[in-house]
Amino acid sequence: MKRFDPDKPWDLTTLPTTAGPEGSLPHAPVQKTAGGRDQCFLGASDVPNAPGLPEAVSTIKNWFRASSLNVLAFGTGCGAIELRPLMTSRFDMSRFGITGAPTPRMSNVFIISGYLSTKTLKRVIRSYEQMPNPKWVVALGSCTINGGMYWDSYNTIKVLDLYMPVDVYISGCMPRPEALIAGFQYLMKEIKAGDANGWHHYLENLDWYRENQKKVIKDWDLPDYSW
Amino acid sequence: MFEINDKTNAPARDHGTDILVRLQARFGALESHRQRQDLLRIEVGQDQLLPVLSWLKGDTPYVQLTHLTAVDWIEEDRFELIYLVTAPALFMTLMISISIDRVSATAESVFNLWLQAETYEQEINEMFGIDFPGSPRQGVPFILEGWDDMPPMRRDFDTVEYCKRTHPERPGRDHTDPRTYVGKKFGEKGYLT
Amino acid sequence: MSRTEHLKSLGYDVMPNAGTEVDPREVQLWFGPQHPGITGNMSVQVWLEGDTIKRGITHVGYLHRGFEKLMERRKFIQSFPVVCRICVAEPDTNEYLLAQSLEELSGMDKDVPEKAQWIRTLVMEMSRLQATLMVLGGSVGTMGMGTAPNWTYTLRDFVLDSFEELTGGRVYHMYTTYGGVRRDLPTGFALRLEETLKKIDERLPYLDDLIFHNEVFRMRSIGVGVVPVEWADEIGITGPPLRAMGIARDVRRDYPYLKYPELDFKVCTGEGSDIYARAWVRRQEISESVSIIRQILEKMPHEGPYSAKLPNMLTWTIPRGSTYVRAEASRGEMGYMMVTDGSDKIRRVHVRGPSYTNAITVLERMLPGTNIADLSALMVSLQTCPPEIER
Repeated sequence: MKRFDPDKPWDLTTLPTTAGPEGSLPHAPVQKTAGGRDQCFLGASDVPNAPGLPEAVSTIKNWFRASSLNVLAFGTGCGAIELRPLMTSRFDMSRFGITGAPTPRMSNVFIISGYLSTKTLKRVIRSYEQMPNPKWVVALGSCTINGGMYWDSYNTIKVLDLYMPVDVYISGCMPRPEALIAGFQYLMKEIKAGDANGWHHYLENLDWYRENQKKVIKDWDLPDYSW
Repeated sequence: MFEINDKTNAPARDHGTDILVRLQARFGALESHRQRQDLLRIEVGQDQLLPVLSWLKGDTPYVQLTHLTAVDWIEEDRFELIYLVTAPALFMTLMISISIDRVSATAESVFNLWLQAETYEQEINEMFGIDFPGSPRQGVPFILEGWDDMPPMRRDFDTVEYCKRTHPERPGRDHTDPRTYVGKKFGEKGYLT
Repeated sequence: MSRTEHLKSLGYDVMPNAGTEVDPREVQLWFGPQHPGITGNMSVQVWLEGDTIKRGITHVGYLHRGFEKLMERRKFIQSFPVVCRICVAEPDTNEYLLAQSLEELSGMDKDVPEKAQWIRTLVMEMSRLQATLMVLGGSVGTMGMGTAPNWTYTLRDFVLDSFEELTGGRVYHMYTTYGGVRRDLPTGFALRLEETLKKIDERLPYLDDLIFHNEVFRMRSIGVGVVPVEWADEIGITGPPLRAMGIARDVRRDYPYLKYPELDFKVCTGEGSDIYARAWVRRQEISESVSIIRQILEKMPHEGPYSAKLPNMLTWTIPRGSTYVRAEASRGEMGYMMVTDGSDKIRRVHVRGPSYTNAITVLERMLPGTNIADLSALMVSLQTCPPEIER
């Protein structure tokens, strides 16, 4: 069975049409990638900047992706208070092509705005895994870097990088909207250069991330991967 | 359509002398301490708590439960529960304080008097481990999820040690004292030159 | 075999109560932490029949950082940066309450100079103003209108500009401290603040037209989300939800603090206790806040110290005692229960947020019979602020 190749979106013969195991209800067949991992059925190919593509196509693809970032509407912590001024006309973020998306299925960028308690971390992991690839994580504030001022709190995580792949850190407590825009511009530059591949690192090293997550989240009841 | 009330209609204030006299007449001698004009602290015994609160709510203007909190006096081997009861009509607040044993840690629930007490008691149960038999949400996790250690607000819970165990830190700077850190980078008196 | 067992035998990963174990007409939905209609980070687990909610449970705890435990480990002066972050929308009330409670227990509160008290009042009113602006826009924003939130957030930004000029930070100020405030008002601050107030005054008639004369808002809010008057003392409701019932209680008038006795303001009440009345009370409070700020700027002394002489903050100890101080935040009565034990650290501090009762006790009892589409409008109108529920 051929894999769905997003670089050839109009080739309908590659779309999966067969049913699953015999006698069951039809559902999207789960395909395996080269590493034996179940491919996320909403995903793009799990290899960034797939080799064999002409460079012009890569550049145009990355330019499109960088110019239309959809931010998931999930204010995980304090920093969410500066997201609203960012959306209004004073610090307008839609002039950069950044808009908001209400569900993870339609979004690209996950802003972790500040600290994460272990209860929120579970929901954040679930939302993050439901987002289609490629996706990026912007970590706001000093709490994501080394715990910030909650360095001795029993309920917040200290280093975000162990649990989720982070592409951009924006320091501050809390960062101004202009700092957020600067962070987004840095992210866009990285995407255009093809260097923002945190999502790929997550898929490739899922076991390591899972181990770290399970150490902190004591009552683990999420599925193996939240499609 | 809507009225806007003026501030001059505020009724006369009572400074709580009356209620103390009435309480002592009904329940015996009680230790009290006047903290402020509108705040009076009264200490009652554990078995007097429900009678006092029911009487306050039923027969006096002290009808509102503003707050319920617990304090851990580990050196004195007791928990102290403080009930803040307000009379909105008189602008007075009473701090009713009882002491309970730290080992058995049970107290009577006031859920039948005030509905919101179920949330306060749920939180105190989770954070301190004090039981309120009869309160509807005892044992239901409220704030913490998947918590397997002792109740965190007790004084013998060491939060730094818990962090070192569970939440790894980023390696690098291991001294929060600026003098030591700057000394390492710029030499002993680097910050003075 | 049941549908669950059939699916399991095929190798599907099935949720425990899928299929026939519960009433098939009842749908359980998590109005969860990730939702654009949630104010802050809490979730409501609702059971729906069609569009109507049959019952619901509030879940909080997503923002718990253990503030009270952190404050027990820090010296008194180290608590200020921490305490700001208890309520994100309105940090100055927390700073003032921390300063006031420890000043009262240590006896320092009679040393706070005049000018400092005026500046503290000014900062409190500015903070109430920007929080009320935000929630007024949010009241219609949850119903789908984007224009009013855009305006109110921009007006709030101008107030935050004044805060930045005064304190150095837009959102978290750390300005009020023991004995007074940290620095004096800059020259010309009153003129720039007056310009902002003029902008707000100009915009308010347009907001009235847009929000309160809007047919869609009126249809969705009049008669919706009515909180019965009997719950006021049973549950301990304070703030705009209480004043919208017609009961005129305001901490600034009832338990006067700072310089409020010398200011002339009205306690705004509404009628009907529904979403419209609460939004109307907030709109009135914006006008009152603007007028209070103007009075403060007029009556404030221009000379004088802005802070009392502080003892050595690294070794300051406060004798044993307990107190409860309260202030009027934009959401209602906010209080700090503070206990000290004679050492140089706080023994126990317990923050009583106004949303503690509103979000859990009131909301859960109002949910049966509500339409799912009104849930987020109801949460915004009760002004539930999850960080202060779980600190």
